[in-house]
Amino acid sequence: MSFYTINSLTFSYAGTDKLFQNISFDIEANQHIGLVGPNGCGKTTLVKLMLGILRPQGGEIYLEGNNIKDISLSDVGKKVGYVFQNPDKQLFCPTVLEQMRFSFTYGDCGSAEAINDNTDYYLKAFDLMQYKSLSPMKLSRGEKQRLALASVLSRDVRFLILDEPSTGLDILRKKQLENCLMELKQEGKGYMIISHEAKFLDRYVDRLLKLHAEGVEYA
Amino acid sequence: MKIDPRTRIILVFLISSAAVVIKELIPLLFLLLLTLILCRMFSVHLSGSIKRLRKLLYFFIILALIQSIFTPGEETLIAAGGLKILTTEGLEAGISIIIRMSVIILSALIIASAPAMDVVYGLIAMKLPYEIAFMVLLSIKFLPLFREEFADSIIAVQLAGADLVKIPLRQKLSLYTYVLTPSVIKALNRARLISLSMEARGFRIYPDRTSYCKLSMSRMDYVTITAASAAVLLIISYNFSIIG
Repeated sequence: MSFYTINSLTFSYAGTDKLFQNISFDIEANQHIGLVGPNGCGKTTLVKLMLGILRPQGGEIYLEGNNIKDISLSDVGKKVGYVFQNPDKQLFCPTVLEQMRFSFTYGDCGSAEAINDNTDYYLKAFDLMQYKSLSPMKLSRGEKQRLALASVLSRDVRFLILDEPSTGLDILRKKQLENCLMELKQEGKGYMIISHEAKFLDRYVDRLLKLHAEGVEYA
Repeated sequence: MKIDPRTRIILVFLISSAAVVIKELIPLLFLLLLTLILCRMFSVHLSGSIKRLRKLLYFFIILALIQSIFTPGEETLIAAGGLKILTTEGLEAGISIIIRMSVIILSALIIASAPAMDVVYGLIAMKLPYEIAFMVLLSIKFLPLFREEFADSIIAVQLAGADLVKIPLRQKLSLYTYVLTPSVIKALNRARLISLSMEARGFRIYPDRTSYCKLSMSRMDYVTITAASAAVLLIISYNFSIIG
């Protein structure tokens, strides 16, 4: 049984042509996939469908054999970590530290010891320790992106979906992200990255999934 | 059918004013019927809007209950010991408030269903200073922005592992407090960005603006306004005839 099974998926936004029709593919929990395609082809929409945020007009999505429509968003979130394309949409806590601890406090996403260890580790890894008592809204675009990444990576999820994670990161911070991706690989965790950066994808994914109007294909 | 935006603004003003003035239940029902007819005429997508407003239903019911309980009356329907809990007058007041709110919301949909810029042009054509007309546009845009920001935050909260159904009420309340403040700030920031973008394009440099859009009222507009005004006046006079 695959971690994700996408079966004959069809979706369109109200009043528009079909964004994609009858697309099918599988993803294993330890796979490292890059999702590519031109602007507006529906990459983020596909991810939102895979998370259960949007409902498809046709077809099914199975997460560990369960239809995604029967799983609550919080249960999906406990298995799949998602870094939003726009970090502003992901950050909602009053301080950086509370944002990092949120999943542990409200989501029961790890043991009590993991809270401090993981929080400190990822705050240091992404150079955010000095901002821990600040509001996430006061951070720059790049810092918000790092916080969004750190808060997802600190959780013990089986699979990660990163929507353009390197946007807004400088060379040093991109290196930190790359280190984290290497660690995830070593831990045997899978991820799917949406990105337009071919070089970045070449280094960190095993397969490329190309999305276009006619469907998807592995490259 | 192309209707001038001023017609929509005048009709909404008429209906919402009448909804405040009319106190009796039957005239309010007539006003609701007139509003529904106008909504239909202006192609307001009623079923979709009602679906979106469904969550307000509980608020209406609570409001109606409070109104029912605190309105004194002679004929008691429910009593506890010697205490009147619900009277016929209270029940009527409760139903009236639901109808009144429905009329106001439905009439607002007549404006909301028009393109936002048309409403601005309509307000400017009615001699409202253009700065204020654009402020109205921003305030119209603010609510959907806030709704979108709040919905995004709720999705983020759930994807972070918090189950909004299962967590205890106390935690749920603190969680909503968490989400509410940044949602308001984000929506305000987005509205601020819109205003900055407008100013960057020369908004308010000169006291007047030249517009390519010249509005003109057609015969259909005059007929609609006259007919709706006559209907509203009839309903108001019927209301006062009941009161005596």
